[in-house]
Amino acid sequence: MIAGVQRFLSYLGAVLIALVTRPRYGIETLRLMQVIAMRCIIPVSLAVAPVGAVISLQGVQIFQLFGAERLLSSFLGMAIFREYSPALASVMVAAQAGSSIAARIGTMRVRGQIDALAVMSVDPIRYVVVPGVLACVVITPLLSVLTNILGLFSGWVFAVPLGGIDHGAFMEHLTEQVTAMDLWVGLMKCAIFGTGVGLIAGFLGLAVERGAAQVGKAANDTVVSTIVLILFTDYVFSVILLEAGL
Amino acid sequence: MRGFSAFVFRAVRAQYTSIPPREVFVPQFVDAGYGSLMLLTILTFFAGLNLAVQSFGPFSRIGAQDMLGMFAGIGGVRELFPVMAAVVGGARIGANVAASLANMKISEQIEALEVMGVDPIRYLVVPRIWAVTLALPLLCGYCNVIGLASAYGGAVYQLGNDPGTFVHQVMEQVSAFDLAAGMIKGAFMGWGVGLISCFHGYSIQKRDGAEGVGIATNLAIVNGAVFCIVTNLLMSWIMYG
Amino acid sequence: MDTSPAVEIEHVSKSFGAKVVLNDVSLRVDRGSIMVMLGPSGTGKSVLLRCLVGLLKPDQGKVKVFGEDVAALDESRRADREALFRVRRRFGMLFQDGALFDDMNVAENVAFPMRLHTRLSEEEMHARVTDKLARVGLPGTEEKFPSELSGGMRKRVAFARAIALEPDIVLCDEPSSGLDPVMSATLDELILEMHRTLGLTFIVISHDTAEARKIADTIGMLANGRLVTYGPAKQVFEENHPALNQFFTRATQGPIKVV
Repeated sequence: MIAGVQRFLSYLGAVLIALVTRPRYGIETLRLMQVIAMRCIIPVSLAVAPVGAVISLQGVQIFQLFGAERLLSSFLGMAIFREYSPALASVMVAAQAGSSIAARIGTMRVRGQIDALAVMSVDPIRYVVVPGVLACVVITPLLSVLTNILGLFSGWVFAVPLGGIDHGAFMEHLTEQVTAMDLWVGLMKCAIFGTGVGLIAGFLGLAVERGAAQVGKAANDTVVSTIVLILFTDYVFSVILLEAGL
Repeated sequence: MRGFSAFVFRAVRAQYTSIPPREVFVPQFVDAGYGSLMLLTILTFFAGLNLAVQSFGPFSRIGAQDMLGMFAGIGGVRELFPVMAAVVGGARIGANVAASLANMKISEQIEALEVMGVDPIRYLVVPRIWAVTLALPLLCGYCNVIGLASAYGGAVYQLGNDPGTFVHQVMEQVSAFDLAAGMIKGAFMGWGVGLISCFHGYSIQKRDGAEGVGIATNLAIVNGAVFCIVTNLLMSWIMYG
Repeated sequence: MDTSPAVEIEHVSKSFGAKVVLNDVSLRVDRGSIMVMLGPSGTGKSVLLRCLVGLLKPDQGKVKVFGEDVAALDESRRADREALFRVRRRFGMLFQDGALFDDMNVAENVAFPMRLHTRLSEEEMHARVTDKLARVGLPGTEEKFPSELSGGMRKRVAFARAIALEPDIVLCDEPSSGLDPVMSATLDELILEMHRTLGLTFIVISHDTAEARKIADTIGMLANGRLVTYGPAKQVFEENHPALNQFFTRATQGPIKVV
């Protein structure tokens, strides 16, 4: 356990140093960003879009209890922008990009390609890990912008045409109550979660020693531990933001 | 897609025409159920807290901060806790299933079974599908309990809600139907996750090597999660719409 | 004694997409003989092996095992599936890397086919496992897991599993690949000993010419999907087909093209 923590800290150090010093592999980073964005866009959209619908579906009934169904949209907007869209988009990025980055690095370990890089004087952390981390940091917030829109739209579908709420009231409460701050909070969370996904994927991928079974385990462990991390940090954030009155 | 429907047809036919071998089913079921407990306990604990803390802001903006119990009841029990159990538990279990089958495929263990006259679908796939189908509803029920408890903790101890009101609202809003609905959703999502992850594990060929195991794991996690979330919306719509 | 052939392959062809892997291959393997099929990598040797046990279906031709045409059996029909499993039970197969089940220890791996297909008591099974493991030179390894064994040991355990049900034919997929010369020689002697003591028929695919020289009664050579030569070992060596010659002399020029 302690050895594991030590290894993770020295890994973090190596990643940090690689981030601030040369050489940097910009082309590889851009390539990975493109790969990750292309791979994630469909699963992330499919997974996050229904959330707005579910909130509206259940929310219409809750708000009707105290005759405030017109206020549904302001709750929907805040819940999507601040909480569910960033958290769930990050969970799906972990599931898709995190597991495939870990599996890719693990496969490279099994095939000896990581050692081959080192023999060719290419630092594997610089060339393989850092681009993955950067790609996750950039792509996750971008994806959450998309899922914000999709979530709001699916929420609107289940609130207005299917839930019987007046369109004008929906839009009015949405724009009145939801602030730019809500959007920024969500985007910042995504960037932080994305960092976690990239870092953990790289660490667990590099930890593979041999055998195909370990590759699967690295992919699996990345997803599980990132999701735990996301929920935990999300909670810490919520408490801090609540205390700060944001 | 054609491959998937052919596989589903084969697997489902085998699932309902044969009894899964005990010595395979039991360890798979224990791994799926008991093996996910720790993870899901931690997750639902934070999810319950989050549910309380995160809704506090929006609710107080519209002057309904003492409605947290009701919100935790409806939002948590009907949707968040079971879905989370299914998505995260399903990701963990599905990844294990896909990785183990893919690994058996690339090391020719599945061919070895066939040569020994064992149908790998009946011997390996069916017990895994049953294990997930039966474990996930139990996990969903378990997560409802943990999630409600931690939402109570968050609302009462952290945000100063009145404990009596919270309990009263939960009792009033959460019906036996809601709890059963969560478990029915769990069974259905578990069945889907089982089929999806077995399919991805089974589709790997020997020449894919270690890379194939990674690909199968990744696809099982992603497609399983998407399946759970979309299924949840459809089932909620049918049951509550 | 029954002198009908153990295996008869008649005009078998198989292609994957546009790639022809087997092109009109015919051969017969006598009972109690050791047949070694040589050939460069990727020329359909292991496809041929998989056709024998019905893991793959040839596009054309017959694959007769003790008179039953395996290629004509359709696995989706119950009666045919049972016939296929009946045929497969007469085979033991040694896979390239052993294909031991990771989650079972050595004893459970060897006992696995007995547990499925026989009604032996635990004691009888235990006795048989001990006997088979002693035969392959690994007594006392019952409790070990495959991940704790070396490559050679894994193959020998797999060998013990392959002969667990006392099959009539043992198929060996590249028995010497990935092993050092001493270990592959040990495995060859194991094959010869099983052949002598149990009278089994062996079908071995290999690209190891030393192995072929040492154990084969019958030798065949597959190149570019065709069976270029086939016959009793002595005769094949005398005939010295150019492809076989190229194989034995390790020449880069000849009928086998390096792609």
